[in-house]
Amino acid sequence: MSNATPSAPFAGVADEQRLRSILYRGAASAFLFALPIIVFLLIWETTVRLGWINATILPSPSNIARRAWVLLDPADPAKSILLTHIVVSLWRALSSFALACVLAIPMGLFLGLNRTAYLIASPLLSLLLPLPAVAWAPIFLVIFGQGDITIIAVCFLGAFFPILYSTIQGVRAIGRHSLWVVRSMGASRFDIFRRVLLPGALPALISGLKLGMAHSWRTLVAAEMLAALTHGLGFMIFAARSYMDVSTMFVGIVCLALIGLLIERGVFGSLEALTIHRWHGNGKVGSHR
Amino acid sequence: MSVETAKILPLRDGAGTKPKIVAKNVQKYFGNVLAMEDISCTINEREFVAIIGPSGCGKSTFLYLIAGFEKASQGELLINNELVVGPGPDRGVVFQEFVLFPWLTVLRNATLGLDIKGVPRQEAEERARKWLRLTGLSGFENAYPSSLSGGMKQRVAIARALSYDPEVLLLDEPFGALDVQTKNYMIQDLQNLWVEANRTIVMITHSVSEAVQLADRVLILSSRPSRIIADVAIKLPHPRDLRDPQVRRYEDEVTALLSAEVDKAMKRERQTFAGRS
Ligand SMILES: Nc1ncnc2c1ncn2[C@@H]1O[C@H](COP(=O)(O)OP(=O)(O)O)[C@@H](O)[C@H]1O
Ligand SMILES: [Mg+2]
Repeated sequence: MSNATPSAPFAGVADEQRLRSILYRGAASAFLFALPIIVFLLIWETTVRLGWINATILPSPSNIARRAWVLLDPADPAKSILLTHIVVSLWRALSSFALACVLAIPMGLFLGLNRTAYLIASPLLSLLLPLPAVAWAPIFLVIFGQGDITIIAVCFLGAFFPILYSTIQGVRAIGRHSLWVVRSMGASRFDIFRRVLLPGALPALISGLKLGMAHSWRTLVAAEMLAALTHGLGFMIFAARSYMDVSTMFVGIVCLALIGLLIERGVFGSLEALTIHRWHGNGKVGSHR
Repeated sequence: MSVETAKILPLRDGAGTKPKIVAKNVQKYFGNVLAMEDISCTINEREFVAIIGPSGCGKSTFLYLIAGFEKASQGELLINNELVVGPGPDRGVVFQEFVLFPWLTVLRNATLGLDIKGVPRQEAEERARKWLRLTGLSGFENAYPSSLSGGMKQRVAIARALSYDPEVLLLDEPFGALDVQTKNYMIQDLQNLWVEANRTIVMITHSVSEAVQLADRVLILSSRPSRIIADVAIKLPHPRDLRDPQVRRYEDEVTALLSAEVDKAMKRERQTFAGRS
């Protein structure tokens, strides 16, 4: 329970204090997160400026930032080259991720529930799961040629297997007693699905989605280098090679890292905060098992 | 304990005489392991029956058979004179391991049976709150199970089973995991709840004092493969005090029967062990 339960007139003060302490803690943790990165960038900048490293191979952070500013073209966002690349890449990654979810989750639920199907599919999955999705890229190139379809298909495979695997594991980890509880209450099949299977598998499912998105994002770069015709961050990095434009390559790399971080922390972080962390308090995931 | 349950309890004038649960020569195999040899018994309406026996003798299995989760290999089980074919909302089960849903609050766990039945949310909450109050869980309605102690989880499980008002309550070692203090409170609570709920209760336990304190009848099971080796009627009014010499006498009687069985089982095990080596 809360340690301070002040009488009514002081409640506002306590709230303000709490808010301030939350803000303070947030700022502190952001600073602690950024500090090593800032130090690293400073060292990098200095070594390049001192001429210890060839700037045409490793441009300084300030140089990269300047290049990013030019590519971003903030004066006219509609025509921004960098934004176009980012939007195209995001669209490809997200649509392949969504497609993977739509197919992998129902399939995972089915395989998790049906023992025979699981026994048949399990050896195949064990073979396919550790396979890097990019390995399929040449095959899709042969079938579909260069373009969005090939890129999305490869990213889809990157996301599909982690999501499928996690869903299966999540469902299989649900004890039969949990199912018995709702069946003894007269639950229909849909009730069982909605009230036990889905929420019960959710913690595993979320980590599968996280992994799937990460795989999709990683696969994207390689797929775009191989198969993109005009746009995408992977394409941008690879195309810059022809002009020896190392700064642009680094801009692409930084964008990939930042967007990856934002998806992981922003999207899946809040998804977890809304579900698992709330159920288990302070992130003590799995304390009930 | 809450004020509501602390009222003076009426003397129960014995259970009804209408058979509620009937087991006829029930036998249960797991693969080729015989878990239950031959169980026959009749449990009457509004009776409180305790089942006691050595661990691993098939007590939980018997409860799951009544609940309809498992199927008997031989013989038949009847509820209200009808063959048990599967689980149903007429029988509420409280598992030894609580089996609460971590993604639901205490209140939503307790309303689950009513939600599934399609009872309007407000009515469901009202009924669940009543049982949460009677089990001493007021103020924890919005907590998640992970923040509760073992005793509280157990009480949520009991409130959940009582909220949807099953005719038969099946309890699997409901106090097994509790510390002595909590357990004593819960035994008191269950006595009162039983009067309040006016239901048929089958409780599994491995504690003789629990059985003697609560039940109208105590069925003693043999070690595996199990049979009923004794059926002891406890003809004493409620609430019972364990220090009461009459209660003590029943306790001694059941203990004697049970330890004779455990002795026999141990001897048999040692013999087979000696024979093997
Ligand atoms: N699903 C099962 N499969 C195989 N054996 C089981 C199963 N359930 C119970 N058993 C066996 O049946 C016997 C009785 O188990 P149980 O009913 O849990 O005993 P109790 O509740 O009296 O301790 C035990 O020997 C146990 O190993
Ligand atoms: Mg048991």
